[in-house]
Amino acid sequence: MLTNHRKDTLIAALLVTPFLAIYLLVFVWPTIQMFGISFTDAPLIGEGEFVGVENYARLDNDPRFRTAAWNTAYFVLLTVIPGTVVALLVALGVSRLKGRLQAAVLALFFLPYILPVSVVYLIWDWILNFQFGISMHVLDWLRVKRVPITKSRDWFMPAMAVVTIWWTAGFSILLFLAGLRSIPAEIYEAAALDNAGRWTTFRRITWPLLWPVTSLVFTIQLISQLKIFDQVYLFSQGGRPNDNMVLVYYVFQRAFQQNQGGRAAAVAVTLFVLVVVVSVLQFQLLRLSGNRK
Amino acid sequence: MTVSGMLKAAVIATVGFAGVAQAQETVVWWDFLAGGDGVRMKKLIEDFNAAHSGQISIDATTLEWGTPFYAKVQTSAAVGEAPDVMTYHASRIPLAVEQGVLQELTAEDFAAMGIGEADFAPATWDAVTVDRKQYAVPLDTHPIVLYYNKDLLEAAGMLDENGLPKGMDSRDGFTATLQALKDNGVTFPLGSVTADGNFMFRTIYSLVGQQGGELMTDGEFLAGDNADKLANALSVLAGWTEAGLQSTYTDYPATVALFTSGEAAMMINGVWEVPTMTDLNAQGKLFNWGAVELPVIFDQPSTYADSHAFALPLNRGKDMTPEKRAAVLEVVGWIAKNSLFWATAGHIPAYAPVTASPEYAAMEPNATYSSLTANMIFDPKTPLAGVAGPIFDVMSTYFVPTLNGEMDPSEAVESIKEELNAL
Repeated sequence: MLTNHRKDTLIAALLVTPFLAIYLLVFVWPTIQMFGISFTDAPLIGEGEFVGVENYARLDNDPRFRTAAWNTAYFVLLTVIPGTVVALLVALGVSRLKGRLQAAVLALFFLPYILPVSVVYLIWDWILNFQFGISMHVLDWLRVKRVPITKSRDWFMPAMAVVTIWWTAGFSILLFLAGLRSIPAEIYEAAALDNAGRWTTFRRITWPLLWPVTSLVFTIQLISQLKIFDQVYLFSQGGRPNDNMVLVYYVFQRAFQQNQGGRAAAVAVTLFVLVVVVSVLQFQLLRLSGNRK
Repeated sequence: MTVSGMLKAAVIATVGFAGVAQAQETVVWWDFLAGGDGVRMKKLIEDFNAAHSGQISIDATTLEWGTPFYAKVQTSAAVGEAPDVMTYHASRIPLAVEQGVLQELTAEDFAAMGIGEADFAPATWDAVTVDRKQYAVPLDTHPIVLYYNKDLLEAAGMLDENGLPKGMDSRDGFTATLQALKDNGVTFPLGSVTADGNFMFRTIYSLVGQQGGELMTDGEFLAGDNADKLANALSVLAGWTEAGLQSTYTDYPATVALFTSGEAAMMINGVWEVPTMTDLNAQGKLFNWGAVELPVIFDQPSTYADSHAFALPLNRGKDMTPEKRAAVLEVVGWIAKNSLFWATAGHIPAYAPVTASPEYAAMEPNATYSSLTANMIFDPKTPLAGVAGPIFDVMSTYFVPTLNGEMDPSEAVESIKEELNAL
């Protein structure tokens, strides 16, 4: 065959260039700039003086940063494992259904995922609002004292976790279903012939074979939940934002409300490093434990 | 950004071609007026366009109030994509000047508009002034007022012979009025936005002003006995919560709903809710209502106010032509002079000849509460203040637990003071 390798390479490069150019321009370059800005006292827009690592040193003694870091960790704890478990359970249930019924039930579970966060906020505000929320009328009916769920420090993060799982579980369910379908039916038939119970089948067949999907879902969730912002912002507007602070919100507050681009960039870089370290560590850990099985 | 820029260019091009014979200036306008007042502003813009047909045309866009609006202004001005004129809160001007997003308005500009310092109340003029330079033209002042349900107050015997609430002159008097309403079976004598500390800042700051207190003196927050005055103000409100006299954990829309549904007999809210009441009342869906200046809980009357003003963004790398600038000044001057209609949105027009007119004196409830213009206090002049500004989140985070009985006022004030001074 007469293949012109140089020509192939050229065409490949040509096809990749538009993506590469945009990627470099709107992702890599701003990221590099963010690192640069974090060592200056720049406002949101404009140049600043070089201040060394001062912006980072200040984080050590910054109560709001501490609140943000703690709340973010708490939120991750409340959503990642519970979210994965809920999605797995729903997927296992849905996979037992057949035909149109399965499609309909799956659609119901997937529906929240397609909603924009503003709509999710409104729906849950109608449920949780202290004066007019539906759930408050249920509490009245049960003769339980009303709870200001989104305005109290103790209830806020758990409530956000429930809202987030409700909102995003659809995608994980879809991944799990795909994983479940890729497990060959013959294995289950063989297990049934060997008189394996339902729990044993799950533990010995489904769970290990589904492991790659589980670890994928886990990693995706971990990364996206570390970047939590929208729900917290919408539910704390005018409420107790500094008590509900999470890391991305803190970046937003410093940059857009306090006009401190340098300090905001330092928080953003910290979060960036955190996400990279945690997700790499976690993925390796899951891979190792998966290999052992 | 580029797509909207192209669209804008296309619109301008179309308009440009349409008016070949006469050079028509299109003034791009941004505002954040999305409520009942926004409807009235659109009417004013239509009237302006009709009166200037063929010469100037306003191309208006309404954006999201608060941080989203101001973030967009800042970023678009930096790349030369900001509008020609925009609404701005006077309380945000010190921050805007620091950010370099506003053009200074010179004496010649004011002469071109045919208005000047003498046409505005001193506090209002001062609110748009930084270092003796003006950065905006005040359109209105919008204070908070006390709304009340005449039917409920009358039933509780709490209306005086002029149809005004009783007990407006002291803390004890007003608390007694609230208690009488409670005893008469009203669920919430006072509807308070207790879930939103940003909003409550307006009430709390007014109560601090009633004691002659100030938020910021010589660049320091809550110095001297100002901290105690803030604690006093919070104690009054926390006391009403404790006595079950006001709604708890109630957000803004819920507060308005509690009042308009008759569950709350009174409500402290901005004058911008006047159109809501007027319109509901006109449809026969609302009780008899009124609005008055805040009760004097402490030593002197004092009400928090902010001002909607018009400002010209400083577009980087894009100079305004003299023709365009003249057109923009015509827009601002015309709207200010024709702001009587704006008063139907509840706001008090800043242009004094309008409020001095007999037509304005006949407007209700505006005429009843416009006495408060003499007792207005504005935000402290610092880049940290202003609606949706940096100090808001600090205050709100402590106000909400305090107003709902979770936190002691003095403990809250201590933390607020510490955090504000660390900003």
